[in-house]
Amino acid sequence: MNAISIKDLVKTYPNTEALKGVSLQIKKGEFFALLGPNGAGKTTMIQIMTGLCNKTSGEVSLFNKDVYQDYVEARQLIGLVPQDFNFDIFEKVYNILYYNAGYFWIPAKERGPRIEKILKDLGLWEKKDSPAIQLSGGMKRKLMIARALVHHPKILILDEPTAGVDVETRQTMWTYLKKLNQDGTTILLTTHYLEEAEKLCDRIAIINKGKIIKVDTKDNLLQLTK
Amino acid sequence: MKTKSSLIPLTTLILRDTKRFLRIWTQSLIPPMLTSVLFILIFGYSLGSRISEVEGVSYLNFILPGLLMMGVIMSGYMASSFALFIQKFQRSIEELLVSPIAYWQIIAGTTIAAMLRSFLVGLGILAVSLLLTPITIYNVWILLAFMILISMLFSFAGIATALWAKNFDQMSIFSTFLITPLTYLGGVFYSIKMLPQPWSTIAKFNPILYMIDGFRYGFIGVNDIPVLYSFAIVISLTLFFFILCVWMFKSGYKLRT
Repeated sequence: MNAISIKDLVKTYPNTEALKGVSLQIKKGEFFALLGPNGAGKTTMIQIMTGLCNKTSGEVSLFNKDVYQDYVEARQLIGLVPQDFNFDIFEKVYNILYYNAGYFWIPAKERGPRIEKILKDLGLWEKKDSPAIQLSGGMKRKLMIARALVHHPKILILDEPTAGVDVETRQTMWTYLKKLNQDGTTILLTTHYLEEAEKLCDRIAIINKGKIIKVDTKDNLLQLTK
Repeated sequence: MKTKSSLIPLTTLILRDTKRFLRIWTQSLIPPMLTSVLFILIFGYSLGSRISEVEGVSYLNFILPGLLMMGVIMSGYMASSFALFIQKFQRSIEELLVSPIAYWQIIAGTTIAAMLRSFLVGLGILAVSLLLTPITIYNVWILLAFMILISMLFSFAGIATALWAKNFDQMSIFSTFLITPLTYLGGVFYSIKMLPQPWSTIAKFNPILYMIDGFRYGFIGVNDIPVLYSFAIVISLTLFFFILCVWMFKSGYKLRT
C-alpha cells in the first residue's frame, strides 16, 4: 500500500514553475529521501502535501485520502517538521505540545502521558517548563520533531531536519528516527546531505529544477556513484 | 476516525488565547480600563460638572456607555488582530494550517477569546464606574445584545486586518486612522442632535455612531437613532466581516502560496 501517492503534480508561481509534473509513490513503512539542491522543489512538494501551499494541478493522496478533498483525514495522518522554526517562541515547551495535540483532536486527558513520553525520548523533559526561546538550536529542532509526533502520525515528513545541528545531536536524531521507522512510521526526509540519505533511507528520489530525475533504492544509486 | 464536528480544536484555541491574554493582564486588561477611568474623571467629573444635562441625564451618565463601548471595541479588535498577526509573524500559524482544524473553528476560537477579553474590560470599566456614580440600566437585554454583537464585529475585523497586514505598520493603520477617530466622532461625548448642519448629517455615515447610540439606549433609554435601525447596521457589518474572514481563510489569503 502506498503511504504517499503523487501524480502529475504541477506548481506554478508567477514567472516560475516550481514543480513540473512530479509523480512519486512512497510505500507504507518506507524511509524515503528526497535529495536535491536548493530551489529544486522539495519544500514546495512538502507544503502541498501538508496544506501550506495550493497546487496548480495534479493529485496528492496519503493512504488513499486526497489532501484537498479529505483534508481532515489526510492531515491527521501526517506530522510535519519544517525547515524553519515555526512555533511560538514565548510559549513553554510543554504548552506547545499540549495545544498542538488539541489541534489534532487529542482529548485533554490523553495529552499528558503522550507529551511526557515524547519529551523524555527526545531528552527535552527537563526543559518542559522553559519558554521555547531559551532552547538551544538543536533542542528547538528536537521540539519540532516532538510537536510533529504528538498526535502519533502514520507519516512523518522532515524538511532538512539536521540543517545547522551539531554532530552529536544529529546522531541522536538519526537514531531516534530510525527507531520510529522500525516501529512502523513512514518517513519522508528532504536533505542536501548524501550521507544522511545513505545512513537512513531505503529509497531515494533525486529532484532538480522541479523534476524527479531518478528514483531508486539506496544501494542501486550508490552503485552508480562508484 | 472521529467525526468532522469535533470541538476539541476549538476549545483548545479558546483556552490558549484566553490564557495568553490573562498572563499579560497588565497589558491586555488594565490599559483600556485606565483610559476609560481617566476619561470619566476628566470629562465626567472635571469638565462634565460644568455641563448641564444631556437628553435628560447627567453628562457623566451620558458619556459612560460610549466610554464603555470604546473599551469593548478596542479590546476586541486588538485581541484578535494581534493574536493572529503574531502567529503569522512567528509563522506559528502553520501549526493550525497543517492540522485538521476547520477554518470556522480558527475564526470562532480567536473570536470567542477576543470577546471574552472585551467583556472583561467592559465589566472592569462598569465596576470602576459604579464606584464613581450611581448607574441604572434601562434594558439589560439590549445592552447585552449590543455588547455581544459589537465585540464580535470588531474581533472579526481584527482577524481580517491581521490576515491582510504584511507588517506592524499596516497593522496599526486601521486602529489609528479609522477605528480611533470614528469612535471619538461616533457620539461618545455628544449627541448628534447637538451638532450643527452639515455635521449632524455627515455623522450618520459613521457606523460606530449606531453602535454607541444603540448601546447607550440599552443603558439609559435615550437615543438619537431608532434602536432597530442601529441593530440592523451592526448585524449587517458583523455578517460582512464574518464572510470576509471565512473567504480569506478558505482562499488562503496571504496564508498559503
